Amino acid sequence: MFKRSDDSLIAKALNGDQHAWQQLVNRHQSALFYFGLRLLGSKEDANDLLQDVLMVLCRNLGQYRGDSSFKSWLFGIANYRAMDMLRKRKYSDNDDALAELPDEAPEPGQQLASDRQQQQVRKQLLLLPAEQRLVMELKFYQQFTFDEIASQLAISSNTVKSRFYAALDKLRLQLEDDHVEQSANF
Amino acid sequence: MSNNQQIFEHWLEGKISTEHCAQQLQHDPLWYSRLQNALAVQADARIPQFDAMPAADSSALFASQWQRPATKRSWWPQVSLALSCAAMLISLSPAQLRLHNGSLTLSWQNSQAEVEAAVSSALTTYQQQQQQWLAQQLDFQQQNTSSQLVLLKDYLQDELKRDQRSDMLQLVEYLNQQRQSDWQYWQENYQPMQAGYRPANSYYLTPTDSGVVKP
Repeated sequence: MFKRSDDSLIAKALNGDQHAWQQLVNRHQSALFYFGLRLLGSKEDANDLLQDVLMVLCRNLGQYRGDSSFKSWLFGIANYRAMDMLRKRKYSDNDDALAELPDEAPEPGQQLASDRQQQQVRKQLLLLPAEQRLVMELKFYQQFTFDEIASQLAISSNTVKSRFYAALDKLRLQLEDDHVEQSANF
Repeated sequence: MSNNQQIFEHWLEGKISTEHCAQQLQHDPLWYSRLQNALAVQADARIPQFDAMPAADSSALFASQWQRPATKRSWWPQVSLALSCAAMLISLSPAQLRLHNGSLTLSWQNSQAEVEAAVSSALTTYQQQQQQWLAQQLDFQQQNTSSQLVLLKDYLQDELKRDQRSDMLQLVEYLNQQRQSDWQYWQENYQPMQAGYRPANSYYLTPTDSGVVKP
């Protein structure tokens, strides 16, 4: 079936077409929710972020000019709101986020090594500083280019790369530490 | 930008394969471990998430922001416009609606005949105006001529009277001259003879200038 572009859905929504608006929301809300879940660490916060972004999107839908892709423009809003929430709640060093994660203790015969690695990666990502975590999220999970991320965050592309490599280095150290811990456990 | 960073970013952009990138970076522990970590995160990103997503109903928000209540459409403006257009068409077209003796008749006028009738009417009016003007001019001319004739008649009459008076004066003068000459002739020729025949106490003995002396 022919899939309408975001631009045509936006044009229809601006004319009051609720079906087009719902299509647009359905197309992007899961990405926004999991973005919030990974970045903020809890479903409640992710849901709050989703509602907040949808409200801002609804109010500012007419301001979308099509200079960048709609997804990039939408994540520009989401980034700002998520960083605002992180700043307010000081999630960057919050143990509550980690508490949301399932216990990573292996359940014999049920959890595969890939699952363990997945849990480990997500835990390590949550321990990163918020700015670096955001860059990692946008680069790996949302597949944006460095230039798009720079545009969304209103910073230079070199700053984005700097945060990205710093995050990779920290992740490397933490993963190595985890490996060491796991090795010690074994 | 170092060569290894360039290789790493080419891998991120999908320009080179993971194997090729690993082969290129395996001699640099920093970049190789970055690649390994990036691979671990990338693998996590590729695993779909199945966490239950709460339903987000934004229809009420959208309705309050972008949907306007449907305006009650009034047909009166359309009816008014349609009637105006019909009136314009009727006035511009040769169609004519005539109400005559309680019957309504729709007729189509020939515009050429209408033009010819209008021209004919204008010509007739012009002709009448010209005739009126000519009549006025003729009347004025006649009045002018008659007044001039009256003046001429008066002048001629005056002249005639003057001539007649002059003739009469001349006649009177002639007659006076004749009487004078007759008197002189009488005095010279007949008075002496008369004096000889008349008695002395005659009434007619004393001649006067008029020949008669009253007693």
